[in-house]
Amino acid sequence: MTFTIDYLALAPELVIVGTLLVVFTLDMVLTRPKKFWIATAAVAGTALAAIPLVILGVQGETRSMFDGSYVVDEFALVLKGLFIVAAYLVLLMSHHYIESERYYQGEYYFLLLASVLGSLVMASSRDLIILFIGLELTTAPLFLLTGWRKGDAKSNEASLKYFILGVLSTAILLYGMSFLYGLTGEITFSGLAEATAGRGDEPAMVMAILFVIVGFGFKIAAVPFHFWAPDTYEGAPTPITAYLSVNSKIAGFVALLLMLYIALPGVSEVWAPALWILAALSMTVGNLSALRQTNIVRLLAYSSVAQAGFMLVPFAAAAVVGADLEEAFAATVVYLAIYAVMNLGAFAVVIAGARKTRSGELSAWAGLAQVDSRLGVLVAVFFFSLAGIPPLAGWFAKFAMFRSVMIAGGTTTVVLAVIAAVNAVIALYYYAKVVKTVWVDDPTGEFVEDVEAAPAVSLRLALWVSLALTVAIGFFPALVTFVGDASRVIAVGG
Amino acid sequence: MILSQFLILAAALFAFGIYGLLVRRNIVLILLSVELMLTAVNINFIAFESVFRSPDAIGQVFAIFIITIAAAEVGIGLAIVLMIFRNRKSANVDELSLMRY
Amino acid sequence: MSPYFESYLTVGAFAGLGAVLVLGMLGIAAVLRPTNPTSAKKMTYECGVDPVGSGWSQTYVRYYVFGLLFVIFEVEAVFIFPWAIILERLGVFGLVEMMIFIFILVLGLVYAIRKGVLEWE
Repeated sequence: MTFTIDYLALAPELVIVGTLLVVFTLDMVLTRPKKFWIATAAVAGTALAAIPLVILGVQGETRSMFDGSYVVDEFALVLKGLFIVAAYLVLLMSHHYIESERYYQGEYYFLLLASVLGSLVMASSRDLIILFIGLELTTAPLFLLTGWRKGDAKSNEASLKYFILGVLSTAILLYGMSFLYGLTGEITFSGLAEATAGRGDEPAMVMAILFVIVGFGFKIAAVPFHFWAPDTYEGAPTPITAYLSVNSKIAGFVALLLMLYIALPGVSEVWAPALWILAALSMTVGNLSALRQTNIVRLLAYSSVAQAGFMLVPFAAAAVVGADLEEAFAATVVYLAIYAVMNLGAFAVVIAGARKTRSGELSAWAGLAQVDSRLGVLVAVFFFSLAGIPPLAGWFAKFAMFRSVMIAGGTTTVVLAVIAAVNAVIALYYYAKVVKTVWVDDPTGEFVEDVEAAPAVSLRLALWVSLALTVAIGFFPALVTFVGDASRVIAVGG
Repeated sequence: MILSQFLILAAALFAFGIYGLLVRRNIVLILLSVELMLTAVNINFIAFESVFRSPDAIGQVFAIFIITIAAAEVGIGLAIVLMIFRNRKSANVDELSLMRY
Repeated sequence: MSPYFESYLTVGAFAGLGAVLVLGMLGIAAVLRPTNPTSAKKMTYECGVDPVGSGWSQTYVRYYVFGLLFVIFEVEAVFIFPWAIILERLGVFGLVEMMIFIFILVLGLVYAIRKGVLEWE
């Protein structure tokens, strides 16, 4: 038995592991006034992990380990880059938030970095075991982080709901995987692709695939498996909500797409209709529920459910009519990247705004732009971007989605495209409502106007970065098209 | 065939687990139900492995990782139960309904 | 006697040896120790908890941390067993890997001690 380990390919993960251990040790050694070093170490370590990513990206060769179970190709690198940038922004958002909550700083960063590590592993996984470990490592620390405000009843409840549905989805997913293994004797994606091809008429195979899709449905909060999402998002600390809606959701999507695209393309007639229904339901139910939300975080929660529906559209459409999946895969990855940037920005602005309004209720946000016009502009940019208004980044995500649907063609596809278009209009209504509340309505209460309420330096940095990316991508979509192109040359492994 | 007996056992355990998860109101019993479901998956993997006898013992390795993750999840779950119990003096999930719709 | 049953002879020998060992130990202890029975001492031993009362009695929540640590190191053993079987083939590399694995777990134990959860007051 011989196997070689390619340390350069693993370097981003190893750097994060090292940072984890440093953070953990620092937390034991440092006294309270010096705890700020922990946050510094976490941010520095995350930034450091980007260096090997760049080196690997410049080299541009596909590296494969453990009989093709762990592959570092351009697709994996692009996603790892996305995960690290998103994690960096979340760390910046957390910094002041956690410091003002005054407890358990060390553990917070430790758990957050563990979750980041899981998502990095996921992007490279090409077999069921590594996929499963990556997925669990991503979600398990989040059960604890969701309940971080220990004394708060809402946070408790959020944590428990997320935990129960999280482990339920894991069990369902694993049950499906166990039958996939039982039917084929394979766990690598390349092996599964060969062994499942053309076996879509076997009842056991259909059941296994449906179990897998239901399991992932919970992870990405697609309707009808979305019930945990709004409650968990509302109760969790806001930076963690941002992380949940971006990193954790994208990790779930990547896992689902990897499985469907690489491991199960030969049985697309089984999963394509299921995906079509999930997409249509998620968009419709997510958007209609978002319409009547009065809490801004819950509104963003339902909006992210609806966005998950939009992200499923290209894949569902292409698979139903049997078109080439490559185009759809690239479009989905582009959508994921843009969604990450603008959604993180939206949550950063919610954190910054909540320092002034002291509330997540939309009514308390009325007239915020009158006291702080810069914050008002940011609200407008990120929410209009989520709605898909040019020239902000969101339009290109929607454009890529509709373009891939048009390439696929076919009646069912057109139906799905019409549903998506109607939903885009509904979404515009409630995103615009938030902007109207902030800019047009008169203030209902007093805003907090002291030094404490001003956004901290780290939060301001997070806002600037996401603002710059959102606007830049909107004007120069070429900045993200390479993300889609990279995912076209995905290495199967094995 | 001996395999089908194991699969039926696993399916029954999995079904009991889902039933318990949906019906039980005590958080600790919900945790137990989840464990039942994961055990069902383990039985499946080991049973399939005994048929394939793959050189790398894939099924058994998968089962080991599931055991690990299950242990971690129970640890986390009990921590959450303790936190809730401290705040509310109750482990009944029906009382956790602050947020709806 | 067939070789098949001969191998069972070994099992028999071990069983006999085990019985002698247990009885011998208990016998020596019975001869040497002072006997002073009280009602508390005669009760069934159950990890230090009163064995009377209904089955639904509450237990100390402090056991939770000990239980958790036990589970961690128990699961660690699950990984060490397969590793031990092929250690010779893995060589120094395998040894170093396992040392790193155990080091990280020990770090967790140090954390538990540092937070004072292992002190019983």
